Amino acid sequence: MEHEKLFWQNTTRRTFFKTTGLAAGRIALASLMFPDLFGSAKAQTPTARAHPGLPGLPHFAPKARHLIYLFMNGAPSQIDLWDYKPGLADMFDSDLPDSIRNGQRLTTMTSGQKRFPIAPSIYKFARHGQCGTYVSELLPHTAEVVDDLAVIRTVYTEAINHDPASTYILTGNQIPGKPSIGAWISYGLGSEADNLPAFVVMTPRWSAKRDAQALYQRLWGAGFLPSRHQGVALRANGDPVLYLNNPPGVAPAARRTMLDGLAKLNEATFARTGDPEIQTRIAQYEMAFRMQTSIPNLVNISDEPKSVLDMYGPEVTQPGTFAASALLARRLVERGVRVVQILHREWDHHGDLPRDLPLQCRDVDHACKGLILDLKQRGLLDETLIVWGGEFGRTVYCQGELRHDNYGRDHHPRCYTMWMAGGGVQGGIVHGETDEFSYNIVRDPVHIRDINATILHQMGIDHNRLTYNFQGLDQKLVGTEAPAFPVKTILA
Amino acid sequence: MKSTWHKPRPGLWPALFLCAGLTSLEGAQSPVLFNRDIRPILSDTCLPCHGFDANKRKADLRLDSLEGATAVHNGHQAIKPGDPAGSEVWRRITATDPKIKMPPPDALKKLNAEQIALVGHWIEQGAIYQKHWAFVAPVRPPLPDVVRTNWVRNPVDRFILATLEAKHLQPSPEASKETLIRRVTLDLTGLPPTLAEVDAFLADQAPDAYERLVDRLLKSPRYGEQMARHWLDLARYGDTHGLHLDNERSLWPYRDWVVRAYNDNLPFDQFTVWQLAGDLLPHPTRDQLIASGFNRCNVSTSEGGAIDEEFQVRYAIDRVETTSTTWMGLTMGCAVCHDHKLDPITQKEFYQVFAIFNNIAEHAMDGNALLPPPSMPLPSPEQEKQLADFDNQKASLENKARDIAQALHYTDPATVTNAPKPEPKEFVWIDDDFPAQAEVKADGPPVQWVTAADGQVFSGKRALRRSGKDLHQVYFASSAEPLTVHAGDQFFAYVYLDPQDLPKSVMLQFHVSDWANRANWGDPDAIVYGKKGTTEKVQSGELPAAGKWERLEVSAAALGLAPGTRITGLAFTQFGGTVFWDKAGVVSVDDPAQDPTVSLVAWEKAEHGLGDQSMAPQEIKELLDKKPAKLDEQERQKLKDYFLTAVYQDPGSNLPPIRAELNALKQKRDALEAEIPSTMISKELPKPRTTWILVRGQYDKHAEEVGPGVPAILPPLPPCDVTNRLTFARWLVEPQHPLTARVTVNRFWQQFFGVGLVKTAEDFGTRGEWPSHPELLDWLATEFMRTGWDMKQMVRLLVTSATYRQDSAVTPELYTLDPENRLLARGPRYRLDAEELRDYALDVSGLLNLKMGGRGVRTYQPPGIWEAVGYTTSNTAKYTQDHGDALYRRSLYLFWKRTAPPPTMITFDAPSREKCWARRERTDTPLQALVMMNDPQFFEAARHLGYRMLHEGGADDAARLRYGFRLATDRNITATELAILTESLNAQRERYNGDEAAAKKVISVGESPVPADVAAPELAAYTMVANLLLNMDEVVTRN
Repeated sequence: MEHEKLFWQNTTRRTFFKTTGLAAGRIALASLMFPDLFGSAKAQTPTARAHPGLPGLPHFAPKARHLIYLFMNGAPSQIDLWDYKPGLADMFDSDLPDSIRNGQRLTTMTSGQKRFPIAPSIYKFARHGQCGTYVSELLPHTAEVVDDLAVIRTVYTEAINHDPASTYILTGNQIPGKPSIGAWISYGLGSEADNLPAFVVMTPRWSAKRDAQALYQRLWGAGFLPSRHQGVALRANGDPVLYLNNPPGVAPAARRTMLDGLAKLNEATFARTGDPEIQTRIAQYEMAFRMQTSIPNLVNISDEPKSVLDMYGPEVTQPGTFAASALLARRLVERGVRVVQILHREWDHHGDLPRDLPLQCRDVDHACKGLILDLKQRGLLDETLIVWGGEFGRTVYCQGELRHDNYGRDHHPRCYTMWMAGGGVQGGIVHGETDEFSYNIVRDPVHIRDINATILHQMGIDHNRLTYNFQGLDQKLVGTEAPAFPVKTILA
Repeated sequence: MKSTWHKPRPGLWPALFLCAGLTSLEGAQSPVLFNRDIRPILSDTCLPCHGFDANKRKADLRLDSLEGATAVHNGHQAIKPGDPAGSEVWRRITATDPKIKMPPPDALKKLNAEQIALVGHWIEQGAIYQKHWAFVAPVRPPLPDVVRTNWVRNPVDRFILATLEAKHLQPSPEASKETLIRRVTLDLTGLPPTLAEVDAFLADQAPDAYERLVDRLLKSPRYGEQMARHWLDLARYGDTHGLHLDNERSLWPYRDWVVRAYNDNLPFDQFTVWQLAGDLLPHPTRDQLIASGFNRCNVSTSEGGAIDEEFQVRYAIDRVETTSTTWMGLTMGCAVCHDHKLDPITQKEFYQVFAIFNNIAEHAMDGNALLPPPSMPLPSPEQEKQLADFDNQKASLENKARDIAQALHYTDPATVTNAPKPEPKEFVWIDDDFPAQAEVKADGPPVQWVTAADGQVFSGKRALRRSGKDLHQVYFASSAEPLTVHAGDQFFAYVYLDPQDLPKSVMLQFHVSDWANRANWGDPDAIVYGKKGTTEKVQSGELPAAGKWERLEVSAAALGLAPGTRITGLAFTQFGGTVFWDKAGVVSVDDPAQDPTVSLVAWEKAEHGLGDQSMAPQEIKELLDKKPAKLDEQERQKLKDYFLTAVYQDPGSNLPPIRAELNALKQKRDALEAEIPSTMISKELPKPRTTWILVRGQYDKHAEEVGPGVPAILPPLPPCDVTNRLTFARWLVEPQHPLTARVTVNRFWQQFFGVGLVKTAEDFGTRGEWPSHPELLDWLATEFMRTGWDMKQMVRLLVTSATYRQDSAVTPELYTLDPENRLLARGPRYRLDAEELRDYALDVSGLLNLKMGGRGVRTYQPPGIWEAVGYTTSNTAKYTQDHGDALYRRSLYLFWKRTAPPPTMITFDAPSREKCWARRERTDTPLQALVMMNDPQFFEAARHLGYRMLHEGGADDAARLRYGFRLATDRNITATELAILTESLNAQRERYNGDEAAAKKVISVGESPVPADVAAPELAAYTMVANLLLNMDEVVTRN
């Protein structure tokens, strides 16, 4: 019997790695999400923990082991934040030249507009840092760390509406059904975290108007990849992970009693049927039990000194804020979590931009700086790639009534700004150039596919070689229709 | 890539032949089969550059056909049948020189030695190409010969056994009766058998006991629910639109029809036709129309700014992809942008199929509506009768009214000359109360009425007092008594301003279809509403004097309110201060010639051009909107009749009570109609949309125009006058169609054996997997058609086979040989699906509510899941949980919000239903363990199971544990297991005896009442044991 059990243990491990490695077959044997699964077997197979991702990955030495993706859902205005256009000041209310618009596909929200009056940003820009990059007064804290940022002013996409555009940049396709970037990375690289998921998602609250563009679970879903790769929501209210806490009245000791009985019964079933799946199930229940301790420890920030909390700004101690989420992102990365994604909503400013944009910036600005500085002081910034940005940009022309103190901007897919920091990206540089209207790209365009290729590249993944055969096609995060290229010039 | 062709070096072949490691093959002499052995290699490695897609083809070389591969290029042949050494392909794949090596060194895919050797053998054996097996219509194969004929129960077993015997393997013995009844009951109903059913089956010693069991299950209404669950993954059924706002939509009658169709055993060919084209059948029945909702299950949007044509194209693409995956196992979506790289489907052919699905009479923007048209109401027979009754009553009342009206001697005052000049008259709208049925609301302080005793009153018994900071108001937008504007009307209201607490301004706002007409007194900028200088904000004077009653007056003309306009609501608005508001209304010149309720001419004038604002029936509205000069005599009479019957206020007539009756009737009828469910259906546009090939799949890049058609690799469409969805659906189920029957029986196989005969159930194309038992697949496909597409018969055939009835225990040797159990030398064993797990716990605990059908239910769900993603104004932004029985309905009926589906379902691998899904994963994660242990739904079920053990299980712990174990597993407990459970129970009992407060919490989880007839610690201890039972591997697994 002992002999047989040993056989099964080994088989389970072998089959697990074989099946996940081949990305085929029965994948129910174990969880990639929780590599500690085979912790007890470490002594026998020391390599089991070393490569919980696909064999052959990373494809080359990674610059970043972790990704923190700060997604500004709704599309922040690049013209008011990053893409400084001083020449526009004198063009208030003048018409955007047709030669610039050049048949651009407009959303039906402004395609019926008779005029396209230019709305210069009312915000002041100044040079910051040693690099002297222009940053808007709305982001005073981020401006302080601009020497750590690679600001990409020439990101573009084809989608012009939120749902398809967010789905496009985060899953590589405008149509639902494809895995999210975090799921791809989890699938390819696995996790280094003990007792934590490989991919964690947070959706903090926001300060501007209540009407905010929706999110969709597909933005962190696993698509056709095994569902264990989907992002696990870390929640600010209730159980931090769904159903983590025992029901009221069930103390850990009572749960332990139940689990001990369960393991014995399951061992008996295993002895009778020989199904190695049972060993996996026993291990998963033990993992769940350990998570009941590890996750509360993760979200309990009482061990953070004031000096650290202060870095993230005054809201850091309020659960559910962007600042609190940013701090948790650092704690997750510290514990080996592969991908953390924070999706902050309400950046869709068709009207009343001066009322709403400052509130949104205040939500994220301080904590972005804090996150960078905190990671840096711990030596983690070098191995953590931070990405900031939305799904498209906003128009230079006004949507609705244009006033000197009030205006709105429609969706603009042709150019917008994202930034990256850490993880082998050069700090203090600006990539690409747009025309004087921040309307068209003049130099160095970066498709959102290229953004994704760059992220994968920094994680040690060749975007063309991380594939999954689904419906007869070798599917990729960057899609299969057009080539994608990492933006090599921003890399350190 | 420029290619040069060289004569291969002789002598290389034998060397490689030896080093290629042929040990893994069954010897060089065994025949290499193109479809099984060579096609996967070519598809994976070679065809992306040397395949079907002409645009991507390199060196003008095609390897996907014999013709292409043997064509002579510069004196060389890629493949020379029978002669590897004379074949350029061989030279290239065996080369070491990176300049000529294939695949090139930078290619992602490489060939291993085994694959190279296979290609060598294949060329040597004559390089025989076969048409891809799945594109050739299945031919019924003979049943293979087997040795152990006594094991065989039906033809399925002959095929399975033949393969096992060829591999010198034995099938497993039949599973125990307990295992069998649990397995087949779960498979056919999604629920475990009851203990009574188990006992009856154990007692039934007849040789056909099992077959009769299967027949009983196939008749259970639960069968349809279980089968539908699988189908709805393909249909991408959900209860919300799925994109952007993700509002609720009503398609659940379609879901319920699917259940019915399975229970009624609708033959699969009709099942197909009804869903794809039920609306196009001659005189479609209600069910055929409901079934056509299949085409409407796709995700849709109404996002502001979205372009109609773009989404119209997406919907049609989705329909093509869903249909081709579901019925043909084809990935046609790959040809949206270009010719399919691997399968012989051109881009043009894709758009020919697209043309068939491009004509649904829908709007691209779903309007975020519950029922984006086309839709259909579904009254019950009872409701239909009620509607008819209403209509009859209405007709008789209308006749009565018409008779009275016709008896009137009507003279239009507008046509009377020399009438006396009318006097202005005051109509009070608000005094002491608001108009009847006004929905009064207040911003700021609540509504406060005062009497002369505690405030100022101008008229009647009481007045409104408003006191507060900044902008505040009291208002109503609709009432049962709207005011109709007449020419020359003056509106008025009385105000008393508190001299100690002056407002900055006061305002009257008038509601028509919106709040857009306002009069302001005092600071014009204090109240922000409206644009100054327009009728949105008419400055009507200074702030009235304080400390006394003042009359505010403003004319309808100044407010831009034309005669005939209906004022439905009014607002008293002020900025700061304390103000008393009293008597409000309108001073109207009571001129019968101008009164649309008295004068026909005045009425026609008032109603002309009102459009939707008019309350008249459609037919009358249309007449009213015509120029009076264009009306003929008959039309004039119609208008007059309607006017006298429905509008004319003649003090002397008997009409008002009849009109009141009619009004009440209409309200009842409207209320009934609101209760009647409706469902989205398909409907064809009278004139098809034009379809073009779209360059790179972009909706606005039109290339060649194309008409309806199907890929040339498949049989042609039958000739007919109009090629539409009906033609296509019928074509799918023609006997010579190579795919439909195979794809369908393969999914049945997947459902009952865990993995399909073709594992890639969604892809039967060239990159799909070679079937584990190709002859069996073809036999089943032909059998399915031969039996008239009888689904129950096919299901019965599978689950009564000896193959299905095997024990699932596995030895290390067998597991090593066949970890996925593709050979079926043992019975299938795998984890239950998400829905089954929840239903199982509810069932054995006695909580399950078997009510069928209806709108989706909302069970326990942790807070914040919808809120975290929902668009704030979506009607699914906030989760409102149901209560009572609804909490315990089968999971099939859970409300499915597609951007945030029920978390328990998703955790156990249910798809999001945003797109067609043919095969679920079966993962095993710690998050699943957390659900099973802690989800209130499961924990409440554990309490009820614990209670059942205590109450029904017997007198002592041992009896109760035995009972609980059997409820959970359908088998008897062993001594070891009993000892384990007893130990666990005792430990929990000791714990909760010492902590009654904790015990009370344990037994209070969930909304069902806490039983009072058992001590809390005892029930808590049993709850924990039941929680253990429901988490057992044996329980969560279908064995």
